[in-house]
Amino acid sequence: MSAGRGQMKLGAFLWATGHHIAAWRHPQAHVTAGIDIDHYIQLARTAEAAKFDMIFCEDAAGVREANVNIASQTSRSIGFEPISLLAALAVQTERIGLVSTASTSYNEPYGLARTFLSLDHLSGGRAGWNLVTSASQIEAANFGSTGLRPHADRYERAREFAAVVAGLWQGQGGHEGRSFSTRDPLDLPRSPQGAPVMVQAGASDEGRDLAARTADVVFTAAQTFEEAKAFYDDLKGRLAAHGREPEDVKIMPGVAPVVAASEAEARAKHDELQELIPDDVGVALLSSYLSISDLARYPIDGPLPELPVSEGMQSRQALVIEQSRRDKLSIRQLARHFAGARGHWRVVGTPAQIADELEARFEGGAADGFNVMPSYFPGQLDAFATLVVPELQRRGLFRTDYEGSTLRDHLGLKRPA
Amino acid sequence: MADGATMCLAVSLSPEAAPSHPPGAGPDFSLLARFVQEAEAAGLDMVLLGDSAPVASGPNRQMRFEATTLLAALATVTSRIGLVAAASTVAHQPYNLARRFASLDIISHGRAGWNASMTSEPREAANFSRPEGFSGDDFRLRTEEFIGIVQGLWKGWDADAVLFDKVGGRFFDPEKMHLLDHKGEYFSVRGPLNVARSPQDTPVLVMSGLSEPAMDIAARTADVVLLDEPSIEPAKSGDLKRRALTLGRRPEALKVLMNVTGSAETTAAPDLFADRLEECFRSKACDGFNVAMPFTSALDDFVGLVLPELRRRGLVRSGYSTTTLRAHLGLAGEDRQ
Repeated sequence: MSAGRGQMKLGAFLWATGHHIAAWRHPQAHVTAGIDIDHYIQLARTAEAAKFDMIFCEDAAGVREANVNIASQTSRSIGFEPISLLAALAVQTERIGLVSTASTSYNEPYGLARTFLSLDHLSGGRAGWNLVTSASQIEAANFGSTGLRPHADRYERAREFAAVVAGLWQGQGGHEGRSFSTRDPLDLPRSPQGAPVMVQAGASDEGRDLAARTADVVFTAAQTFEEAKAFYDDLKGRLAAHGREPEDVKIMPGVAPVVAASEAEARAKHDELQELIPDDVGVALLSSYLSISDLARYPIDGPLPELPVSEGMQSRQALVIEQSRRDKLSIRQLARHFAGARGHWRVVGTPAQIADELEARFEGGAADGFNVMPSYFPGQLDAFATLVVPELQRRGLFRTDYEGSTLRDHLGLKRPA
Repeated sequence: MADGATMCLAVSLSPEAAPSHPPGAGPDFSLLARFVQEAEAAGLDMVLLGDSAPVASGPNRQMRFEATTLLAALATVTSRIGLVAAASTVAHQPYNLARRFASLDIISHGRAGWNASMTSEPREAANFSRPEGFSGDDFRLRTEEFIGIVQGLWKGWDADAVLFDKVGGRFFDPEKMHLLDHKGEYFSVRGPLNVARSPQDTPVLVMSGLSEPAMDIAARTADVVLLDEPSIEPAKSGDLKRRALTLGRRPEALKVLMNVTGSAETTAAPDLFADRLEECFRSKACDGFNVAMPFTSALDDFVGLVLPELRRRGLVRSGYSTTTLRAHLGLAGEDRQ
């Protein structure tokens, strides 16, 4: 085993036909993924055979893109609802963790706590909840709202929501607060792993603070080692104030690998995907990350304009703007760059090169593990599982078999009291 | 039967039906899976999965899974039987509920249904930030609007909307995606759903707990209505069918199932139990039955003793000739209106 950091954690982030925006057009992508449960069962078994800690599904309560012309050129408007998907996968797998995103903005804590605890029982203690707050107007319009709540309000609601859920998972009932009230304890026994794992992804100051209080796992997006390290140190530094130890929270940045046996082959694969992105789709995706609707009216080969701060995703926005200034990118270049990996860290290369990159961030104290975002399915998950995982195992950086049976066991997390 | 009509048959697995369990033990999925597989081997139309509000001191609560997650899991270990989950309109937002069931319908290849209760459960509202609960009228009007939204969202994508055209770069046909744009008294929902169209057109809508004022809602929107024993509501089935006709639906497009309890009567005198079902069915008091199982082994008696008798009399079809729940119930194709 290398150095003293032990072994990294790995999540398999499943999303439709792939994380690359044009994945569905790739000849080897399974284009009917969004209506094919057998495809997902196969992906879950591939990830389990490679000993991934967990499968991860993101979620939004609405289509991804308001402009129907743009939306119709991507595969993201239809797919499985993740909790039903993971419940199906729970009884078709035996060991791998099952984590789904669900929003505190458009759910009630009692129902969410009960549903995830049910998933936890179906899977024998392998469930996790990724808490997000919703920042999209498209979602708001499906829940009777005409505008988004301000960022701070969303997080105040999220804090109360998370506390109620945690209490219910510990067998408590009866809560009266500003946003929510409950009366009874849940009508299910305690979780086989003490409580489902609590995951969080928000990287704003409020998001980090909430994560430091309540999260077991934090997902994040970081392009460079320095960004990743700064986030890692900041979040771990916040734990002591809440009476928590650094190892109580696992920080897992997203990584979007494109892997092939040779570097030239990997580059060719990546270029092939980039070529499949229509310009209007790339610009629209970038617009949505910046929470502005009219990026298309600026010259596509010019620089990113000065932008006002919005109530949308503040941390992601900062990341995109910083990247464009640093690399002096045009809107088109930036759009393609972000469309490919959605703001996450992209690594293109051989299994050894990718293992080198992951090892450097892990050993350098910038990550406890990674949430792997294959560019298209099933090909790039298969490639990571059969090429990169064995390389990491050879280096002693990743397990060769599961140590326990629950998701908390895999992640090395304490059981809550 | 002279006209060859056969009855619809469902069995229900309610929380109360769970066998007693060692205290503290987790819920047992494999026991439930065996129950549903046995019902499937017997060729029954569907299994109804209960999901009631928690009652703090109730017995046998150890068995519980939340019904929609249970349905998803059961869908992967069965292939033909319909799977219907209860889900409360108080516990869910219409968009989220529509999405969950649309997804379950794709996971099950067109075998999912939603059992919507028209009776409010005051204890439940208190767990969902509504301690004041709902008045009867308020609950009914809200539920009617809720159901309309869910059914509307289920039709947001035309059956041929998704093109999967890799080369042409068009994943779906924009003309075949429809916004709901609902703005009502209780909800406003823009849509569309982010789940594809159901393999059986829409998930099957089952309604239960009907009060008199809710009869028109059921006659207009339900695929299946569950009524209690005929001694209590003898004329309700005919009434529902007449109302459906008035509202422009074919009476056959609405199936009325009578709730009956199996157990002791089944074991002691299967012929008499079959007689009772036959009489009720022939008198057109219902289109079939929902047999409640007080414990999982009661299914053995129903399947082993009563079902062969009903089959011998030509009252129940043998095996499945169709693949979706809607088709099992005779609600597919042109019957759908």
